[in-house]
Amino acid sequence: MQDGSGRIVVQNLSKNFGNVAAVQNLSFQVEPGSVTGFLGPNGAGKTTTLRMLLGLVSPTAGHTTINGQPFSHLGNPARVVGAVLEAQGFHPSRTARNHLRVYAAAMGVPDQRADEVLNLVGLGTAGERAAGGFSLGMKQRLALATALLGDPQVLVLDEPANGLDPEGIAWLRTFLKAFASSGRTVLISSHLLAEVEQTIDQVVIISRGQTMYYGMLEELRKSQQSRVIVQPADANALATALQEAEITNIQPMPDGKIAVVGATVQQIGDVAAKAGVALYGVQEEKADLEQLFFRLTSGQYAAPGMVPHGQLPGGYAQPVPQPMPQQMPPQGYAQPGYQQPPGQGSGYHMPVQGYPQQQPGYQPTQQYSQQYPQGYPQQGYQAPGYAPPGYAPQGTPPQGTPPGAWGPPSTPQPAQQTPPGGWAPPSGPQPAQPQQPAPPQQPAPPPPENEQQPGQGGTGGNA
Amino acid sequence: MGRLVKAEFRKILTTKLWWALLIPAVGLALGWAWLSAIAFTDVANDITDALDVNNVSDQQLSLSSLALTRAMNFATLFPLVFGALALASEINRKTITTSFLTAPNRASVLGAKAIVYTLWGLIYGVVVALAASLGVLIGTGDGALPEASDWMLILLSGIIACVLWTLLGMGVGALLGSPVATLVIVLLYAALVGPTSEFIITLSTEGSHIAGVMPNGSANGLTGSTASELLFNQIQDLFGAQVGNLSADQIDDFDTVVRIAAGAPGAFSLWVSGLIFLGWTALFFGTGLIRNQRRDIT
Repeated sequence: MQDGSGRIVVQNLSKNFGNVAAVQNLSFQVEPGSVTGFLGPNGAGKTTTLRMLLGLVSPTAGHTTINGQPFSHLGNPARVVGAVLEAQGFHPSRTARNHLRVYAAAMGVPDQRADEVLNLVGLGTAGERAAGGFSLGMKQRLALATALLGDPQVLVLDEPANGLDPEGIAWLRTFLKAFASSGRTVLISSHLLAEVEQTIDQVVIISRGQTMYYGMLEELRKSQQSRVIVQPADANALATALQEAEITNIQPMPDGKIAVVGATVQQIGDVAAKAGVALYGVQEEKADLEQLFFRLTSGQYAAPGMVPHGQLPGGYAQPVPQPMPQQMPPQGYAQPGYQQPPGQGSGYHMPVQGYPQQQPGYQPTQQYSQQYPQGYPQQGYQAPGYAPPGYAPQGTPPQGTPPGAWGPPSTPQPAQQTPPGGWAPPSGPQPAQPQQPAPPQQPAPPPPENEQQPGQGGTGGNA
Repeated sequence: MGRLVKAEFRKILTTKLWWALLIPAVGLALGWAWLSAIAFTDVANDITDALDVNNVSDQQLSLSSLALTRAMNFATLFPLVFGALALASEINRKTITTSFLTAPNRASVLGAKAIVYTLWGLIYGVVVALAASLGVLIGTGDGALPEASDWMLILLSGIIACVLWTLLGMGVGALLGSPVATLVIVLLYAALVGPTSEFIITLSTEGSHIAGVMPNGSANGLTGSTASELLFNQIQDLFGAQVGNLSADQIDDFDTVVRIAAGAPGAFSLWVSGLIFLGWTALFFGTGLIRNQRRDIT
């Protein structure tokens, strides 16, 4: 019998389609009273997992339960779990109200429930219209209305924000929170963390069919490290002083600034004061959660031979007039892949090229070491969350956002930016070639396999 | 199960397909029965006049039973299409996802569909039977009509054929999962490949029953056997004493010709044909359901 808990359990779930392993040994649990985000890039196995949970796809191994029972043993399942799935169909000539009445009959709820849920999702006036004429957003609302028809205890939503306007997303957010706070369960999938970040309490992040992170969103937030961007009068001196103070995770930045990880603003200020190095600017930078998400899910499609975008000097190598302000709208961080200039590949692959950036981003360090014989430690920049995607917008300005003023990646700041300490723009492109649309290639890109190791970088990977 | 049956009825009644197919089915049955009854009655009168030279018999040849049979036989194409789209279009439009999510299990969805489409096959059959009867009544005029019992038997077999064709279509649709592929295959087979191949097989094997074992052949036997037996008996009566002079071979040949005229070459008798066709329906319907029991709905 059902335990009535509203708990969803996914245990050691695997699914192969032919030789494609869509889901591999996935386990997580969704507790009632909370909204759980189910995140991963497109093709990570989210939809397959949800469809296995709902008995639409049979797993190769493992099992799932809702209320302690597999879906097929729920009796009248629509009264227990409501689902909004991607590409859920409607008969194009059937009206919204008739659509709901069909399924109201199937689950044995009174017909007036159809009108109730229509009003609930804001389709009250569209009930007599054929679903075929609905916009994507209206179809999503109708799908949600269908899911709510049986007044279920558990709600499973696959990319429900697709096609919803901002108002619809805000409404959905409020609705889901209220739904969960009444002690019911919500599992919501998305390929954009930013989209659900404000809605969810718990998060399951998967990539390539495997769990990358499973736990509270708060814990994930705490796991982020911040770095401090310092603009000293003499970078060499400060670097040496910091090393003497055993702050070794230092990375030079192209315009003479240096980035320091693992030290507070106060510590750096003290060291600088002691060493007698003037500081012209100090700013703490905290990585966006979305960057962490990128790092956790990166490399899913990294194809060997494909030049990762990240090796472009548009990454760390690019002169940074000012650190990325924290107030930057999340979109700036969230979608570097989508904002790359055309010509890098098909639109779909954009984010793919974006993901591997974290690794190439470390490269400039090695270059600096050549230009900087004093021997900065080459540990690179290991902090999680600092995946260069966040910085990519500087080089590849998103349309309509301020960074556009910084110029394309291939036009590094000219020589007057070269700071005193002999720091030169690290990257290949010389100021003499400002028009070149694609920056010259850096030394061999790191093998993409490196990035495919989950948990690398110390965020606690599989929890 | 009652809830799902209700839901399936609503699915049908909230869309246009059921009447969009029923109207041409009625039109075809009525028109075909009407026109061919006129033609057959003409022929029948001529034959009667020619054979019954002595005018001793008041027996009349009721060729209009052929019109009734053929009209119903052709009209079964429409319930076939209706059944073929039952599950295939749900799979294609992905409404099957919601259907499966709102039912205890898949078997109950498919079972409810089977019940509902059996009833709809019955509705199509009755309407088509009425239309064909009307056509024959008008077209025969003052010619000879079949006897009421024969008439009812032909109608009944036609109605059963409609139900079975509906379910067979549903099975093929469930098996293939694509409305286009299902329609192309069932229509090509039932309207062209089946009848042609059965005609050729029957002629080349000198009236064997091979054609009567095939799906379309057995369905034709279901509707056509009654009419052809009826005609065969009537003509024997007309020949009267002359029948005694015919060899067994000649009688067999004659039987084959009458069956071909009734659209049922090589067919067994009504009941055997019906059972064979029921078997075919069960085969396609069953495999279609099993296929959907395991299908991954993605």
